Amino acid sequence: MVKYKKMRKKKLATVWLGGCSGCHMSLLDIDERILDVAQLADIVKSPIVDGKEMPDVDIALVEGSVTSDEHYREILHIRKKAKTLIAFGDCAVMTNVTGMRNYFPLKEVFDAAYVNAVSNDAEGQVPDHPSLLKLNDKVVPLQEVVNVDFVIPGCPPNADTIFYVLFEFLNDRLPDLGKAKKLKYG
Amino acid sequence: MNCYMNTISIIIDDQKLETDPGKTILEVCRENGIDILTMCHLKGVLDIGACRLCLVEIEGVNKLLSACTTKVAANMIVRTNTDRIKKYQRITTELFFAERNHVCAVCVANGKCELQDLGYKVGLDHIRYPHLFPQCEVDTSHPWYVMDHNRCIMCTRCVRVCNEVEGAHNWDVMNRGHQVRIISDFNSPWGESETCTSCGKCLHACPTGAIWPKAIVQGQLQKNPGMINELVEKRKMKL
Repeated sequence: MVKYKKMRKKKLATVWLGGCSGCHMSLLDIDERILDVAQLADIVKSPIVDGKEMPDVDIALVEGSVTSDEHYREILHIRKKAKTLIAFGDCAVMTNVTGMRNYFPLKEVFDAAYVNAVSNDAEGQVPDHPSLLKLNDKVVPLQEVVNVDFVIPGCPPNADTIFYVLFEFLNDRLPDLGKAKKLKYG
Repeated sequence: MNCYMNTISIIIDDQKLETDPGKTILEVCRENGIDILTMCHLKGVLDIGACRLCLVEIEGVNKLLSACTTKVAANMIVRTNTDRIKKYQRITTELFFAERNHVCAVCVANGKCELQDLGYKVGLDHIRYPHLFPQCEVDTSHPWYVMDHNRCIMCTRCVRVCNEVEGAHNWDVMNRGHQVRIISDFNSPWGESETCTSCGKCLHACPTGAIWPKAIVQGQLQKNPGMINELVEKRKMKL
């Protein structure tokens, strides 16, 4: 006989690093199924909720790649706080569009955006205020900085895929995107 | 005496098959509905065994051989779906992605790409190797077509189709290792080519978004690699 035990409500965080927030939009596309998620988990930190400090969480969905010193510190912090860290979307998994600047030296990238941009007036200059984050030379996916427990590729991942992965993890099962035929890049 | 003098029997994945000698393992597998992953194979042009995806185990041979370039022999015992082969297929696919800049999200071939389909088939969800992020050229000098080296996987289907079917030999291969590149004529812009007939066969042969027509926008790419073999067969009928 299996005794029914009320499961502790899990804590869920979603974080937005070097990405376009498209993955978070896709997360919202799970529509009313977010109520199913809310029954099993509290969303304690996310760009769409009013959370401040990152608390200890069971699952962290991390969108975007590591592009700057700030992201680097952040992902190390998230790794410490999260039991399960999920790379969320193509940028987090394989750098995707954010990694397209990796083919050029960083200076060229800055110049293209701030100095030589067609829309610029004559005096374009690279912003260097101390409060701004410092871009790393190369954009790297999460897995090159920390151990990643699961990946959801896709640009953005389908809402169905996101819900499938979340629901499996929230019910203490391990999802398998290949077997579920939910793999997608781009 | 064997009354089927012209056929040989081989065993593929524990399945006993009668087949004509002179065929490749890949041909026999495809005829009998045994799925073998390929990338550089294109029906109608010569096989070169470049992509290493169709590697199979053959009993008595201690290395893996490519099914597209290995001919069947009598009593051969072939295995196509062992864990060892699946492991190598996954590694090969990951290296395709890591070697050049495959950004599916901004690619014209997104959703209609043989490399994407391959990734889904081998269950690739992330790439375990560091990306090289090479600085690759995008040749837009041709009036109708674009050659984007970022998306090229060096299957050389365009080279073979241009040489063997069109007979123009505009495309060729330069350098070795990760610096290997497809070149037009003697490494000049495609638009200045003296040999290119602008027939567009390379475009249909290309499995990814490396060669594409300027007239289309993202998501509208239509490629028809099957037309290459149709052409070859039709030309045989005329002779």
